[in-house]
Amino acid sequence: MKMLPLALLVGAWQAAASAGLLPASVLPSFWEVAASLGGMLRSGEILPHTAASFGRAGAGFALGVAGGVVLGLLMARVRAVERAIEPILLLIYPVPKPALIPLFMVWLGIGDFSKIAVIALACLVPVVIAAYNGARSVDDMLIWSARARGTAQGRLLWRVVLPSALPQIAAGVRTAIAVAIIVLVSSEFISAETGLGYLIFSYGGVGADDAMLAVVIYLAVLGYALDRAYLAGLRRLMSWHAFAH
Amino acid sequence: MRLLIRLGPVALIVLAWELVARVGWVNPNVFPPVTDIVARWLTVFLDGRIYAPLWETLWRALAGLAAAIAVGVPLGLLMGRTRWAEWFFAPLFSFGFPLPKIALIPLYVHWFGLFSLSKVMLIFTDCLFPIVLFTYHGARGLSPVYLWSAQSRGTGRLRMFWRVVLPLSLASIYDGIQVAVVVAVLVAVVSEMVSGGGGLGELMIRAYRFGDVRTAFAALVTISLIGYFLYRIAQWLRGILLHWHVTEA
Repeated sequence: MKMLPLALLVGAWQAAASAGLLPASVLPSFWEVAASLGGMLRSGEILPHTAASFGRAGAGFALGVAGGVVLGLLMARVRAVERAIEPILLLIYPVPKPALIPLFMVWLGIGDFSKIAVIALACLVPVVIAAYNGARSVDDMLIWSARARGTAQGRLLWRVVLPSALPQIAAGVRTAIAVAIIVLVSSEFISAETGLGYLIFSYGGVGADDAMLAVVIYLAVLGYALDRAYLAGLRRLMSWHAFAH
Repeated sequence: MRLLIRLGPVALIVLAWELVARVGWVNPNVFPPVTDIVARWLTVFLDGRIYAPLWETLWRALAGLAAAIAVGVPLGLLMGRTRWAEWFFAPLFSFGFPLPKIALIPLYVHWFGLFSLSKVMLIFTDCLFPIVLFTYHGARGLSPVYLWSAQSRGTGRLRMFWRVVLPLSLASIYDGIQVAVVVAVLVAVVSEMVSGGGGLGELMIRAYRFGDVRTAFAALVTISLIGYFLYRIAQWLRGILLHWHVTEA
């Protein structure tokens, strides 16, 4: 039912193309785009590009999230770390991360490393901030009671602070998923020989609009599915947490 | 003094960076010393090389943002207060919000050409989503008491939008604009990096091709400053325009 407006829009697109109101040179019909996507899936042409893109995005995302959680928690609980990291974060925060791509290409080459590094940095920022805010708002009672039982600092972070900060971290990670895809596509537009961004760009360059749109829609559907899957997984994982009820 | 302590870590990093680059452990053309970058940044401002690209990026970002506000705010208000508009548009916008609109660059170049129009249109498209969604949520969550009291005095529909719904939704409209400002600068720079046509993004890519890391850094600093100042200006305007608002304590 919620998808009905989207279906209507697609229907209107197809109807306008069939009626000749929408020349194929402006926008190929939905049917042509769907057929093109079907062809790419059947021939398997799109699969290695999907794998390349998800390898880059996944590696950058994993590094960024892991680093972000650790840094955020440490910042919230250890004064020296907070002092050291906070000003650096303030400096990095206003930088539009895709603008770092050319510099990282100088440092790490035009291959996968520079893309992964920029994606990692771009994912790190929202997660650090979420983890930091989440860990700072942990109920002091929980910490005192754990301390009173002689819980060591490391165990405290792992068993008390991290679980309490999870809802906020989860929101930061959701932002990081969207950010990873944006930076991925930007970096593949700028320089790549594989990947979905490369595929969109090269089909666009030769005027194969139906194939280009097919990959754009494929990417959009994958991005949407990832977001949904993340939310569903989260609901399961966090069923014990107060915020899930 | 407190500022000094706060900035201490940054100063340390800058100092270490400067030393490493000066001593020659790294190639200064790949990883230039901070002082070189600052010097280059000052040079491009003093000799005026930066102004043309700076202006290109800035006006594209602002034009796209302004168009998104002009279309997005009325649309969001309409969605918040009328059933059919909410039914049709709300799922579309919440579906499209997390998607990478940047992937549309080749399509927009095809439709609107290589130059400013395609970039402004893409910035408009990307900024539209946060503005519509925030406006919509603001307009939907209004306390009905205000609406009833205006209605009971016989306020017409159009006047109601203009005098009651819009002002009460301003706080969340502003939240949307704050998000959109950041998006506008990002999309402007990425589209310039990808399809050229002048601007700071193209300047960065050209500097990269010529191996001119100092200029690339100078452009990066300028881009970040634009983003930062636009965000601060939006914040400042918010304070001025919304000082009367209930949620602004």
